[in-house]
Amino acid sequence: MDDTVEYTVMTRDVVKVYRMGDTEVRALDGVDVTIRTGEYISIMGPSGSGKTTLFNAIGGLMKPTSGNVFIDEIDVAQLDANELAWLRCRKIGYIFQSYNIVKVMTALENVTLPMLFGGVPPDEAQDRAVEILTRVGLGDRILHTPKELSGGQQQRVAIARAFANQPAIILADEPTANLDIHTGEEIIELMKEMNRERGVTVICSTHDHKMLDISDRIVWMRDGKVQKIANRADVDIEINTMKEKH
Amino acid sequence: MNSAIQPSADWEIGSLKLSMEVVCSMAVNSLRQRIGRAVLTLLTITTATAFMMYLLTMPRSTDPVDIQSWRLMMILSLVVSGAGVLNTMLMSVTQRYREIGTMKCLGALDSFILYSVLLEAAILGLVGAFAGAVAGLIISILLALADHGGEVFQAMEIANLPGKLVFVFLVGMALTTLGALFPAFIASKMPPMDAMRGEK
Repeated sequence: MDDTVEYTVMTRDVVKVYRMGDTEVRALDGVDVTIRTGEYISIMGPSGSGKTTLFNAIGGLMKPTSGNVFIDEIDVAQLDANELAWLRCRKIGYIFQSYNIVKVMTALENVTLPMLFGGVPPDEAQDRAVEILTRVGLGDRILHTPKELSGGQQQRVAIARAFANQPAIILADEPTANLDIHTGEEIIELMKEMNRERGVTVICSTHDHKMLDISDRIVWMRDGKVQKIANRADVDIEINTMKEKH
Repeated sequence: MNSAIQPSADWEIGSLKLSMEVVCSMAVNSLRQRIGRAVLTLLTITTATAFMMYLLTMPRSTDPVDIQSWRLMMILSLVVSGAGVLNTMLMSVTQRYREIGTMKCLGALDSFILYSVLLEAAILGLVGAFAGAVAGLIISILLALADHGGEVFQAMEIANLPGKLVFVFLVGMALTTLGALFPAFIASKMPPMDAMRGEK
Protein backbone atom coordinates (compact mmCIF):
# COMPACT_ATOMS: atom_id res chain seq x y z
CA MET A 1 0.00 0.00 0.00
CA ASP A 2 1.40 3.35 -0.85
CA ASP A 3 -1.50 5.74 -0.61
CA THR A 4 -0.63 9.09 0.72
CA VAL A 5 -2.06 9.91 4.08
CA GLU A 6 -2.80 13.57 4.39
CA TYR A 7 -2.46 14.71 7.93
CA THR A 8 -3.44 17.89 9.66
CA VAL A 9 -1.83 17.17 13.01
CA MET A 10 1.22 15.06 13.65
CA THR A 11 2.98 14.65 16.97
CA ARG A 12 6.43 13.13 17.24
CA ASP A 13 7.67 11.76 20.54
CA VAL A 14 5.96 14.47 22.56
CA VAL A 15 6.98 14.51 26.20
CA LYS A 16 5.65 16.80 28.87
CA VAL A 17 7.14 16.69 32.33
CA TYR A 18 5.63 18.54 35.25
CA ARG A 19 7.51 19.09 38.45
CA MET A 20 5.50 18.62 41.57
CA GLY A 21 7.80 19.34 44.44
CA ASP A 22 10.51 16.71 44.24
CA THR A 23 8.67 14.31 41.98
CA GLU A 24 8.52 14.45 38.23
CA VAL A 25 5.25 13.65 36.54
CA ARG A 26 5.44 12.59 32.93
CA ALA A 27 2.04 13.77 31.75
CA LEU A 28 2.97 12.86 28.20
CA ASP A 29 5.56 10.16 27.66
CA GLY A 30 6.45 9.98 23.99
CA VAL A 31 3.21 10.45 22.12
CA ASP A 32 3.09 9.79 18.37
CA VAL A 33 -0.19 10.38 16.65
CA THR A 34 -1.01 11.33 13.11
CA ILE A 35 -4.41 12.83 12.59
CA ARG A 36 -5.82 12.84 9.10
CA THR A 37 -7.47 15.79 7.49
CA GLY A 38 -11.20 15.93 8.01
CA GLU A 39 -11.42 13.05 10.43
CA TYR A 40 -13.28 12.98 13.71
CA ILE A 41 -10.98 11.56 16.28
CA SER A 42 -11.77 10.87 19.91
CA ILE A 43 -9.17 10.68 22.61
CA MET A 44 -10.25 8.43 25.44
CA GLY A 45 -8.64 7.51 28.70
CA PRO A 46 -9.04 7.82 32.44
CA SER A 47 -8.42 11.17 34.12
CA GLY A 48 -4.74 11.80 34.51
CA SER A 49 -3.93 9.81 31.38
CA GLY A 50 -2.64 12.89 29.61
CA LYS A 51 -5.65 13.65 27.40
CA THR A 52 -5.87 17.29 28.33
CA THR A 53 -2.11 17.75 28.17
CA LEU A 54 -2.06 16.32 24.66
CA PHE A 55 -4.96 18.57 23.77
CA ASN A 56 -3.06 21.59 25.07
CA ALA A 57 0.09 20.61 23.22
CA ILE A 58 -1.76 20.26 19.92
CA GLY A 59 -3.58 23.52 20.49
CA GLY A 60 -0.40 25.46 21.12
CA LEU A 61 -1.60 26.22 24.62
CA MET A 62 1.57 24.93 26.23
CA LYS A 63 5.04 23.97 25.10
CA PRO A 64 6.03 20.30 25.35
CA THR A 65 9.23 19.48 27.25
CA SER A 66 10.52 17.72 24.14
CA GLY A 67 9.22 16.43 20.83
CA ASN A 68 7.35 18.17 18.05
CA VAL A 69 3.79 19.01 17.23
CA PHE A 70 3.10 19.75 13.61
CA ILE A 71 0.00 21.44 12.31
CA ASP A 72 0.37 20.74 8.61
CA GLU A 73 3.97 21.74 7.99
CA ILE A 74 4.24 24.14 10.89
CA ASP A 75 6.12 23.06 14.00
CA VAL A 76 4.12 24.64 16.80
CA ALA A 77 7.11 24.70 19.17
CA GLN A 78 8.99 27.03 16.83
CA LEU A 79 6.34 29.75 16.88
CA ASP A 80 6.63 33.01 18.77
CA ALA A 81 3.79 34.55 20.77
CA ASN A 82 2.27 36.46 17.87
CA GLU A 83 2.39 33.47 15.53
CA LEU A 84 0.81 31.28 18.19
CA ALA A 85 -1.96 33.84 18.57
CA TRP A 86 -2.50 33.73 14.82
CA LEU A 87 -2.59 29.94 14.87
CA ARG A 88 -5.13 29.92 17.70
CA CYS A 89 -7.16 32.55 15.96
CA ARG A 90 -7.26 31.26 12.41
CA LYS A 91 -6.42 27.57 12.38
CA ILE A 92 -7.84 26.16 15.61
CA GLY A 93 -11.21 26.39 17.29
CA TYR A 94 -11.48 25.45 20.96
CA ILE A 95 -14.44 23.97 22.77
CA PHE A 96 -14.21 23.46 26.53
CA GLN A 97 -15.90 21.35 29.13
CA SER A 98 -17.04 24.44 31.00
CA TYR A 99 -18.05 26.35 27.83
CA ASN A 100 -15.92 29.38 28.73
CA ILE A 101 -18.32 31.85 27.29
CA VAL A 102 -17.35 35.39 28.24
CA LYS A 103 -19.97 36.12 30.88
CA VAL A 104 -20.48 39.80 30.31
CA MET A 105 -21.02 39.41 26.57
CA THR A 106 -24.01 38.34 24.53
CA ALA A 107 -23.93 35.19 22.38
CA LEU A 108 -23.42 37.42 19.35
CA GLU A 109 -20.49 39.29 20.90
CA ASN A 110 -18.89 36.02 21.96
CA VAL A 111 -19.00 34.67 18.43
CA THR A 112 -17.68 37.90 16.89
CA LEU A 113 -14.65 37.93 19.24
CA PRO A 114 -12.35 35.58 17.32
CA MET A 115 -13.27 37.30 14.06
CA LEU A 116 -12.43 40.73 15.49
CA PHE A 117 -9.11 39.37 16.75
CA GLY A 118 -8.51 37.99 13.27
CA GLY A 119 -9.08 41.37 11.64
CA VAL A 120 -12.54 40.81 10.16
CA PRO A 121 -14.36 44.18 9.89
CA PRO A 122 -16.97 44.48 12.70
CA ASP A 123 -20.01 44.62 10.37
CA GLU A 124 -18.96 41.53 8.48
CA ALA A 125 -18.08 39.74 11.73
CA GLN A 126 -21.56 40.48 13.02
CA ASP A 127 -23.27 39.15 9.89
CA ARG A 128 -21.21 35.98 9.97
CA ALA A 129 -21.87 35.52 13.68
CA VAL A 130 -25.63 35.77 13.15
CA GLU A 131 -25.39 33.25 10.33
CA ILE A 132 -23.43 30.70 12.32
CA LEU A 133 -25.50 31.14 15.49
CA THR A 134 -28.54 30.44 13.36
CA ARG A 135 -26.80 27.34 12.05
CA VAL A 136 -26.26 25.97 15.56
CA GLY A 137 -29.92 26.62 16.39
CA LEU A 138 -29.64 29.82 18.41
CA GLY A 139 -31.01 32.22 15.82
CA ASP A 140 -33.57 33.53 18.27
CA ARG A 141 -31.13 33.93 21.14
CA ILE A 142 -28.28 35.92 19.66
CA LEU A 143 -28.65 38.80 22.12
CA HIS A 144 -28.87 36.63 25.22
CA THR A 145 -26.07 36.58 27.78
CA PRO A 146 -24.77 33.28 29.22
CA LYS A 147 -26.92 33.80 32.33
CA GLU A 148 -30.01 33.52 30.15
CA LEU A 149 -28.81 30.39 28.35
CA SER A 150 -28.84 26.75 29.44
CA GLY A 151 -25.65 24.67 29.51
CA GLY A 152 -26.45 23.10 26.16
CA GLN A 153 -27.15 26.47 24.63
CA GLN A 154 -23.91 27.87 26.02
CA GLN A 155 -22.03 24.96 24.49
CA ARG A 156 -23.74 25.76 21.18
CA VAL A 157 -22.45 29.32 21.44
CA ALA A 158 -18.99 27.87 22.10
CA ILE A 159 -19.30 25.67 19.00
CA ALA A 160 -20.40 28.64 16.90
CA ARG A 161 -17.48 30.62 18.28
CA ALA A 162 -15.01 27.81 17.58
CA PHE A 163 -16.17 27.59 13.95
CA ALA A 164 -16.34 31.37 13.41
CA ASN A 165 -12.96 31.82 11.74
CA GLN A 166 -13.33 28.70 9.58
CA PRO A 167 -10.54 26.85 11.36
CA ALA A 168 -8.86 23.70 10.04
CA ILE A 169 -9.02 21.95 13.41
CA ILE A 170 -11.54 21.88 16.23
CA LEU A 171 -10.17 20.86 19.61
CA ALA A 172 -12.86 19.87 22.05
CA ASP A 173 -11.97 19.01 25.64
CA GLU A 174 -14.74 16.88 27.15
CA PRO A 175 -17.47 19.01 25.56
CA THR A 176 -20.32 16.95 26.97
CA ALA A 177 -19.02 16.29 30.48
CA ASN A 178 -21.16 19.00 32.09
CA LEU A 179 -24.32 18.19 30.15
CA ASP A 180 -27.14 15.74 30.70
CA ILE A 181 -27.27 12.72 28.40
CA HIS A 182 -29.88 14.08 26.02
CA THR A 183 -28.23 17.51 25.61
CA GLY A 184 -24.85 15.82 25.31
CA GLU A 185 -26.15 13.75 22.40
CA GLU A 186 -27.41 16.87 20.67
CA ILE A 187 -24.02 18.54 21.07
CA ILE A 188 -22.21 15.45 19.74
CA GLU A 189 -24.58 15.34 16.79
CA LEU A 190 -24.03 19.04 16.07
CA MET A 191 -20.25 18.64 16.18
CA LYS A 192 -20.44 15.70 13.80
CA GLU A 193 -22.65 17.64 11.40
CA MET A 194 -20.26 20.59 11.42
CA ASN A 195 -17.37 18.19 10.87
CA ARG A 196 -19.07 16.70 7.81
CA GLU A 197 -20.37 19.96 6.39
CA ARG A 198 -17.16 21.89 6.66
CA GLY A 199 -14.55 19.16 6.38
CA VAL A 200 -12.98 20.36 9.61
CA THR A 201 -10.78 17.96 11.55
CA VAL A 202 -12.27 17.39 15.00
CA ILE A 203 -10.16 16.21 17.91
CA CYS A 204 -12.22 15.50 20.94
CA SER A 205 -11.15 14.25 24.33
CA THR A 206 -13.95 12.47 26.09
CA HIS A 207 -15.17 9.98 28.67
CA ASP A 208 -18.41 9.67 26.79
CA HIS A 209 -18.94 6.31 25.07
CA LYS A 210 -21.62 7.79 22.84
CA MET A 211 -18.86 9.79 21.25
CA LEU A 212 -17.32 6.57 19.93
CA ASP A 213 -20.25 5.99 17.62
CA ILE A 214 -19.55 9.02 15.52
CA SER A 215 -15.76 9.00 15.64
CA ASP A 216 -13.70 7.87 12.68
CA ARG A 217 -10.91 6.74 14.93
CA ILE A 218 -10.34 6.45 18.64
CA VAL A 219 -7.10 6.98 20.49
CA TRP A 220 -6.79 5.37 23.92
CA MET A 221 -4.36 6.95 26.32
CA ARG A 222 -2.95 5.64 29.54
CA ASP A 223 -0.17 7.05 31.73
CA GLY A 224 0.87 9.60 29.18
CA LYS A 225 1.21 7.07 26.38
CA VAL A 226 -0.92 6.09 23.46
CA GLN A 227 -2.19 2.66 24.37
CA LYS A 228 -3.81 1.96 21.04
CA ILE A 229 -5.47 3.60 18.10
CA ALA A 230 -8.45 1.93 16.52
CA ASN A 231 -10.81 2.51 13.65
CA ARG A 232 -14.45 2.91 14.43
CA ALA A 233 -15.37 -0.35 12.72
CA ASP A 234 -12.90 -2.43 14.73
CA VAL A 235 -14.15 -0.94 17.96
CA ASP A 236 -17.64 -2.23 17.26
CA ILE A 237 -16.30 -5.75 17.21
CA GLU A 238 -14.45 -5.17 20.42
CA ILE A 239 -17.45 -3.75 22.21
CA ASN A 240 -19.48 -6.73 21.01
CA THR A 241 -16.94 -9.22 22.27
CA MET A 242 -16.85 -7.34 25.54
CA LYS A 243 -20.58 -7.63 25.76
CA GLU A 244 -20.45 -11.33 24.94
CA LYS A 245 -17.97 -11.93 27.69
CA HIS A 246 -20.31 -10.40 30.23
CA MET B 1 2.53 -0.28 5.14
CA ASN B 2 4.79 2.21 3.47
CA SER B 3 2.29 4.92 2.84
CA ALA B 4 3.71 8.39 2.67
CA ILE B 5 2.61 10.84 5.26
CA GLN B 6 2.35 14.38 4.13
CA PRO B 7 0.73 17.57 5.32
CA SER B 8 -2.70 18.23 3.88
CA ALA B 9 -2.37 21.85 3.07
CA ASP B 10 0.27 24.33 2.24
CA TRP B 11 -0.01 27.61 4.06
CA GLU B 12 2.16 30.08 5.82
CA ILE B 13 1.83 31.26 9.32
CA GLY B 14 0.45 34.78 9.38
CA SER B 15 0.55 37.48 11.95
CA LEU B 16 -2.15 39.39 13.71
CA LYS B 17 -2.30 43.15 13.85
CA LEU B 18 -3.43 44.96 16.92
CA SER B 19 -6.49 47.03 16.12
CA MET B 20 -6.77 49.99 18.47
CA GLU B 21 -10.36 50.34 17.33
CA VAL B 22 -11.20 46.90 18.72
CA VAL B 23 -9.18 47.63 21.89
CA CYS B 24 -11.20 50.83 22.47
CA SER B 25 -14.58 49.28 21.82
CA MET B 26 -13.68 46.32 24.02
CA ALA B 27 -12.55 48.53 26.92
CA VAL B 28 -15.65 50.73 26.74
CA ASN B 29 -17.91 47.69 26.40
CA SER B 30 -16.28 45.96 29.33
CA LEU B 31 -16.81 49.04 31.53
CA ARG B 32 -20.42 49.32 30.45
CA GLN B 33 -21.15 45.67 31.06
CA ARG B 34 -19.53 45.72 34.47
CA ILE B 35 -20.93 49.08 35.46
CA GLY B 36 -21.41 48.10 39.11
CA ARG B 37 -17.76 47.26 39.58
CA ALA B 38 -16.72 50.31 37.55
CA VAL B 39 -18.71 52.61 39.87
CA LEU B 40 -17.13 50.98 42.90
CA THR B 41 -13.64 51.43 41.47
CA LEU B 42 -14.48 55.03 40.56
CA LEU B 43 -15.62 55.66 44.11
CA THR B 44 -12.29 54.43 45.49
CA ILE B 45 -10.30 56.55 43.07
CA THR B 46 -12.48 59.61 43.65
CA THR B 47 -12.35 59.44 47.44
CA ALA B 48 -8.62 58.84 47.47
CA THR B 49 -7.94 61.74 45.12
CA ALA B 50 -10.35 64.03 46.93
CA PHE B 51 -8.60 63.34 50.21
CA MET B 52 -5.24 64.13 48.68
CA MET B 53 -6.57 67.32 47.13
CA TYR B 54 -8.11 68.43 50.40
CA LEU B 55 -4.88 67.92 52.30
CA LEU B 56 -2.90 69.75 49.67
CA THR B 57 -5.15 72.81 49.50
CA MET B 58 -6.42 73.27 53.04
CA PRO B 59 -5.19 76.44 54.72
CA ARG B 60 -2.21 75.59 56.84
CA SER B 61 -0.74 77.24 59.89
CA THR B 62 2.94 78.05 59.77
CA ASP B 63 3.60 76.37 63.09
CA PRO B 64 6.47 73.89 62.50
CA VAL B 65 4.71 71.21 64.55
CA ASP B 66 1.60 71.56 62.39
CA ILE B 67 3.68 71.43 59.22
CA GLN B 68 5.35 68.30 60.47
CA SER B 69 2.04 66.55 61.12
CA TRP B 70 0.65 67.81 57.80
CA ARG B 71 3.55 66.21 55.96
CA LEU B 72 2.89 62.98 57.77
CA MET B 73 -0.79 63.16 56.80
CA MET B 74 0.16 63.83 53.19
CA ILE B 75 2.42 60.80 53.06
CA LEU B 76 -0.21 58.68 54.75
CA SER B 77 -2.86 59.81 52.29
CA LEU B 78 -0.62 58.88 49.39
CA VAL B 79 0.04 55.45 50.85
CA VAL B 80 -3.58 54.79 51.75
CA SER B 81 -5.05 55.97 48.46
CA GLY B 82 -2.24 54.32 46.54
CA ALA B 83 -2.82 50.98 48.23
CA GLY B 84 -6.61 51.34 47.89
CA VAL B 85 -6.55 52.07 44.19
CA LEU B 86 -3.88 49.45 43.53
CA ASN B 87 -5.85 46.82 45.38
CA THR B 88 -9.06 47.64 43.54
CA MET B 89 -7.38 47.43 40.15
CA LEU B 90 -5.58 44.23 41.12
CA MET B 91 -8.87 42.64 42.12
CA SER B 92 -10.69 43.67 38.99
CA VAL B 93 -7.97 42.19 36.77
CA THR B 94 -7.35 38.97 38.71
CA GLN B 95 -11.08 38.26 38.72
CA ARG B 96 -10.89 38.21 34.96
CA TYR B 97 -8.01 35.78 34.46
CA ARG B 98 -10.39 33.15 33.16
CA GLU B 99 -11.94 35.53 30.66
CA ILE B 100 -8.49 36.68 29.60
CA GLY B 101 -7.38 33.07 29.12
CA THR B 102 -10.43 32.40 26.98
CA MET B 103 -9.70 35.45 24.86
CA LYS B 104 -6.13 34.30 24.36
CA CYS B 105 -7.44 30.95 23.14
CA LEU B 106 -9.54 32.82 20.62
CA GLY B 107 -6.46 34.58 19.28
CA ALA B 108 -6.12 37.71 21.39
CA LEU B 109 -2.60 39.08 21.27
CA ASP B 110 -0.72 39.72 24.50
CA SER B 111 -0.66 43.39 23.58
CA PHE B 112 -4.42 43.35 23.07
CA ILE B 113 -4.97 42.13 26.63
CA LEU B 114 -2.46 44.59 28.01
CA TYR B 115 -3.83 47.63 26.18
CA SER B 116 -7.49 46.92 26.73
CA VAL B 117 -7.00 46.47 30.49
CA LEU B 118 -4.80 49.57 30.68
CA LEU B 119 -7.25 51.62 28.64
CA GLU B 120 -10.06 50.60 30.93
CA ALA B 121 -8.02 51.64 33.94
CA ALA B 122 -7.04 54.90 32.26
CA ILE B 123 -10.68 55.78 31.57
CA LEU B 124 -11.57 55.05 35.20
CA GLY B 125 -8.52 57.02 36.33
CA LEU B 126 -9.41 59.98 34.11
CA VAL B 127 -12.95 60.25 35.40
CA GLY B 128 -12.17 59.32 39.01
CA ALA B 129 -9.10 61.50 39.43
CA PHE B 130 -10.81 64.50 37.83
CA ALA B 131 -13.93 64.13 39.96
CA GLY B 132 -11.80 63.54 43.05
CA ALA B 133 -9.56 66.55 42.50
CA VAL B 134 -12.55 68.84 41.95
CA ALA B 135 -14.49 67.39 44.88
CA GLY B 136 -11.46 67.70 47.16
CA LEU B 137 -11.03 71.34 46.16
CA ILE B 138 -14.70 72.14 46.79
CA ILE B 139 -14.61 70.51 50.22
CA SER B 140 -11.40 72.36 50.99
CA ILE B 141 -12.93 75.71 49.97
CA LEU B 142 -16.13 75.11 51.91
CA LEU B 143 -14.27 74.18 55.09
CA ALA B 144 -11.89 77.11 54.70
CA LEU B 145 -14.82 79.43 54.11
CA ALA B 146 -16.24 78.42 57.47
CA ASP B 147 -12.91 79.19 59.17
CA HIS B 148 -11.63 82.20 57.31
CA GLY B 149 -14.76 83.78 55.83
CA GLY B 150 -13.96 86.34 53.10
CA GLU B 151 -10.22 85.83 53.30
CA VAL B 152 -10.53 82.23 52.19
CA PHE B 153 -8.57 82.60 48.97
CA GLN B 154 -5.62 84.35 50.56
CA ALA B 155 -5.49 81.57 53.14
CA MET B 156 -5.49 78.93 50.42
CA GLU B 157 -2.87 80.60 48.22
CA ILE B 158 -5.17 80.86 45.22
CA ALA B 159 -2.34 81.24 42.70
CA ASN B 160 -1.18 77.71 43.44
CA LEU B 161 -4.59 76.08 43.12
CA PRO B 162 -4.57 75.27 39.36
CA GLY B 163 -1.14 73.69 39.72
CA LYS B 164 -2.28 71.58 42.65
CA LEU B 165 -5.40 70.55 40.78
CA VAL B 166 -3.36 69.28 37.86
CA PHE B 167 -0.83 67.61 40.16
CA VAL B 168 -3.43 65.69 42.13
CA PHE B 169 -5.26 64.72 38.96
CA LEU B 170 -2.06 63.32 37.47
CA VAL B 171 -1.15 61.44 40.65
CA GLY B 172 -4.64 59.90 40.79
CA MET B 173 -4.43 58.85 37.17
CA ALA B 174 -0.94 57.47 37.50
CA LEU B 175 -1.89 55.42 40.56
CA THR B 176 -4.86 53.89 38.74
CA THR B 177 -2.94 53.03 35.61
CA LEU B 178 0.04 51.71 37.52
CA GLY B 179 -2.29 49.65 39.68
CA ALA B 180 -3.60 47.99 36.53
CA LEU B 181 -0.22 47.77 34.80
CA PHE B 182 1.24 45.01 36.94
CA PRO B 183 -1.70 42.54 36.89
CA ALA B 184 -2.42 43.38 33.24
CA PHE B 185 1.15 42.56 32.32
CA ILE B 186 1.07 39.29 34.25
CA ALA B 187 -2.27 38.35 32.69
CA SER B 188 -1.15 39.17 29.17
CA LYS B 189 1.95 36.97 29.45
CA MET B 190 0.20 34.03 31.10
CA PRO B 191 -0.19 30.83 29.07
CA PRO B 192 -3.89 30.63 28.15
CA MET B 193 -4.54 27.39 30.01
CA ASP B 194 -3.06 28.69 33.27
CA ALA B 195 -5.04 31.88 32.92
CA MET B 196 -8.22 29.90 32.43
CA ARG B 197 -7.59 27.92 35.56
CA GLY B 198 -7.11 31.24 37.31
CA GLU B 199 -3.56 30.43 38.34
CA LYS B 200 -0.67 32.81 38.38
